[in-house]
Amino acid sequence: MNEIEKKYSAIDASCRVPLLVLFGVASVWLIIGLALAIIASLTFHKPELFANCPFLTYGRVQPAANDAIVYGFAIPAALGVILWIFARLSESELLLPLVPIVAANIWLVGVLVGVVAILIGDSTGFMWLEFPTAGWILIFIAFLLIAISAMATFGARRERALQPAHWFLLGALFWFPWTYGTANFFLVEWPVRGVAQAVINWWFANNLLFVWLGLVGLGVVFYLLPKISGRPLQSRYFALFAFWTWVLFTPWCGMPQGAPVPSWLPAASTVASLLTVIPLISIAIVFVSTIRGVSVQCKGGPYCSAQIGTVLFLASAVMLIITGCSHCGRLLGMTWYMPAQTYLQIFGFFSVVICGAANESLPGVLGFELPFPSFVRWQHRLFIIGSVLFLALPLAIAGIIAGIKMQNPNIPFTEITQGTLNYLRVSSAGFLIILLGSLLFAINVFAATAIWQAKLAKSIMASFGTAFEAEEVKS
Amino acid sequence: MKTGFRIFLGAFVAFGLSWCGFVLGPILQLGTLGQTTVLNSSDIYPNQRPGDATLGLQVYRSSGCAACHTTQVGQHGVVCDVVLTGAGNNPAAVNKLISTLTLTNLTKDEADAISGQISTAGGKTETHIRPIGPDIERGWGMRHSVAEDFLWDNPVQLGSIRVGPDLANVGMRYDLNWQLLHLYAPQSKVQNSMMPSFRFLFNVQKIGATPSPDALQLPAGFGPPAGEEVVPSEDAKNLAAYLVSLRADVALHDAPFTTPSAHAAGTQKK
Amino acid sequence: MSDDLKNSSQTAEEQKGSTAPAWIFALTLLLLFAGGVYFDHHSGWFDAQVYAPYQSSDELEAYQPKSGAAAIFAEGKKMYTTTCATCHGDDGMGKPAQAPPLAGSEWVNASSFKRIEEIPQLGLGGELHVAGQDWNLQMAPMGAMLSDSDLAAVLTYIRHSWGNNASPVTDADIKAMRAAVAGHPIIGGEAGLKAIKE
Repeated sequence: MNEIEKKYSAIDASCRVPLLVLFGVASVWLIIGLALAIIASLTFHKPELFANCPFLTYGRVQPAANDAIVYGFAIPAALGVILWIFARLSESELLLPLVPIVAANIWLVGVLVGVVAILIGDSTGFMWLEFPTAGWILIFIAFLLIAISAMATFGARRERALQPAHWFLLGALFWFPWTYGTANFFLVEWPVRGVAQAVINWWFANNLLFVWLGLVGLGVVFYLLPKISGRPLQSRYFALFAFWTWVLFTPWCGMPQGAPVPSWLPAASTVASLLTVIPLISIAIVFVSTIRGVSVQCKGGPYCSAQIGTVLFLASAVMLIITGCSHCGRLLGMTWYMPAQTYLQIFGFFSVVICGAANESLPGVLGFELPFPSFVRWQHRLFIIGSVLFLALPLAIAGIIAGIKMQNPNIPFTEITQGTLNYLRVSSAGFLIILLGSLLFAINVFAATAIWQAKLAKSIMASFGTAFEAEEVKS
Repeated sequence: MKTGFRIFLGAFVAFGLSWCGFVLGPILQLGTLGQTTVLNSSDIYPNQRPGDATLGLQVYRSSGCAACHTTQVGQHGVVCDVVLTGAGNNPAAVNKLISTLTLTNLTKDEADAISGQISTAGGKTETHIRPIGPDIERGWGMRHSVAEDFLWDNPVQLGSIRVGPDLANVGMRYDLNWQLLHLYAPQSKVQNSMMPSFRFLFNVQKIGATPSPDALQLPAGFGPPAGEEVVPSEDAKNLAAYLVSLRADVALHDAPFTTPSAHAAGTQKK
Repeated sequence: MSDDLKNSSQTAEEQKGSTAPAWIFALTLLLLFAGGVYFDHHSGWFDAQVYAPYQSSDELEAYQPKSGAAAIFAEGKKMYTTTCATCHGDDGMGKPAQAPPLAGSEWVNASSFKRIEEIPQLGLGGELHVAGQDWNLQMAPMGAMLSDSDLAAVLTYIRHSWGNNASPVTDADIKAMRAAVAGHPIIGGEAGLKAIKE
């Protein structure tokens, strides 16, 4: 190994345990979350199924599934990848490596407490903020701990100038505690009065699912594309412009049209949705310019994930900003179109990108190839097929049809619901397909962990062995 | 280093602006909201929900009803109807004039012009304000929901998707007994309903010396086995009380309309 | 294994040439302008009372259902603005050499409306002392073409605005007055006004 390879091999190795723990936690919660989502969607096959079981009633299982997926999988996986990227860009080993390991365990407990609380009926009642105090405080603390390790590693960088990935990922590290802390404080700890609660709830949901997942996903993509292709981002200034316009405009999206709040709030979101066109165009152009003419054999590997993830990012973002228009927002705002957009964002864009990045990191971090390399491309394909064809598309169609029908007061409501049922039943298959993909990801993570632990044990035994031999020789 | 700090500062300002706009602003504007008065009256609105309804809101939250139901009515617009209240000295002329005019679905300016014409002919008119929109016409409410409607609720359960119908004014459509029966066996009240049963909110018990006064009268096919009765738990009763308390049928300054409404308040259209 | 940093940053030459294209800045400004126009029309300018579908507080006020006294007052204000304000002013302060003030006028504020109601019906010309000032002008019968209820509304509005606080005038009063003064000539100054029995 030459000098550079030795340097990066040490850097990767320093990330090993933190990443394995974080990806382990994330992959388990992804499986649990998807299983809960499937249980929830069974209501649309047979509503009677859980009539006697309060823990599995739709109103509890559905939010539990959402939170398990975002807080249990998406954020920990993101933090793992962020730690790895920061270490590599800093050309420094991960600093304070014990902190993320401890934090990941705190995180696990926090999500567990939160999900169980929802299922037993202690949900706070706020979408994406259902975890009661015990749950959210643990997650908040764990996030700050991991952020400390990330910032320490960032601070140790030799090359002082910031890379595009830095802007986005630092922004993310900074914005999550601010939004999560604010929202939980004003909704759960010291609740504000009346519909101000709903406004803060909508603000947080937008900033978590659109702004934050966007910041992390884009940061990871802008790191992966140059890293794998060997071609730098085209161009750095345009990417900076995209970053500025993203953080300036997108936090103002999210107020639903026709909401029971003074009209300046939805009007502000309409304007913000219109302006979001700017960062989206910028990102699209930077993306296309960077991948143009590059021939990288990817076959469902991380480079493919980064590319397709970006395309699906743009698609889900367009789906969202369409609802910023007053007319479309009122038509689609309270239909299945909105969950369709959210699922495309979480699964089609974010999960594809972050699992791609995780799969890119693992061979180097482990020091050996993944135990089941073919699983990587199968997981990639299953995520995309499941999220686009079996989840986002049918639910979006169901939403559009229901929205149009709802404009006609002569159509009885039960008829409208009946019309969406077949699409909802297809969505169960969508969750199942993504679940299969997530099993493949989990198997790789846990098998790799087992192999590494076995190697570690063997080397410990070997060093005992040499110690005995030395003893024998001595005596 | 310099760039790093500039980027941090810029992001701080950008994020901070949205925090000011969508957190601080609404807290100051909406979080300090007090009660208001009903239009053209001195009645205070809204009154606090009765005790069992307030407990019922917690059951609503705990059961995750907001996962399928919204409690917010939207309104697409507002129109005026001109109504003749007196024919004056010359009824024939007034009636002749009216037969040439459209008196409904007018803008305010049109309504003013028409009522001016009629009053010149000697008739007396009243202009009625009428909200329009699919939610209104479906019978889900008489006007759009406003912040005052949710003043006393904690947590506010606006909902985000209409898998089931909107509940903002469900108290105007169904009574307590209907709600209890519907919670136990939704399909007994709404054919083809996809709503899951909430049987776990009820106790199925053997009929004692006399049947319990709370026992539900369920239709055939939905009842308990012979010799048993279904009795709602406290949670079920509180939840039903909360649902029955859901009504926002008064006119307010920010949601004006002319009452009483000739178009049925809370028709049975679902 | 490749050097991440070298890959992720462009060479100095590439950086010098590359920047965000000018058209994206132009598009941003254009969208900001369009957004501003939209916000101006649809936001109610942060008014806590303005909800969609209303687009401004003025629109909200227009659609308030008015009953009884409020309706009459609003109607009277509208008629005053179109019929009387040109000469007497929106603030009722009158205009020199055009019309005497109505605000604070002892004739308007008289407890009986019998004198003031005939002025718009018949017109008034000649010397008149109003609120400590002498006037000598001609007023056409501006209210003669108004309906009974409109004229009653205007007089009610005048008698209860700008600090004036006198009793309202009803349609029936106007009707009776019109029947009584049919064919009478223009009122001749203060003398003619005083001749009207209160």
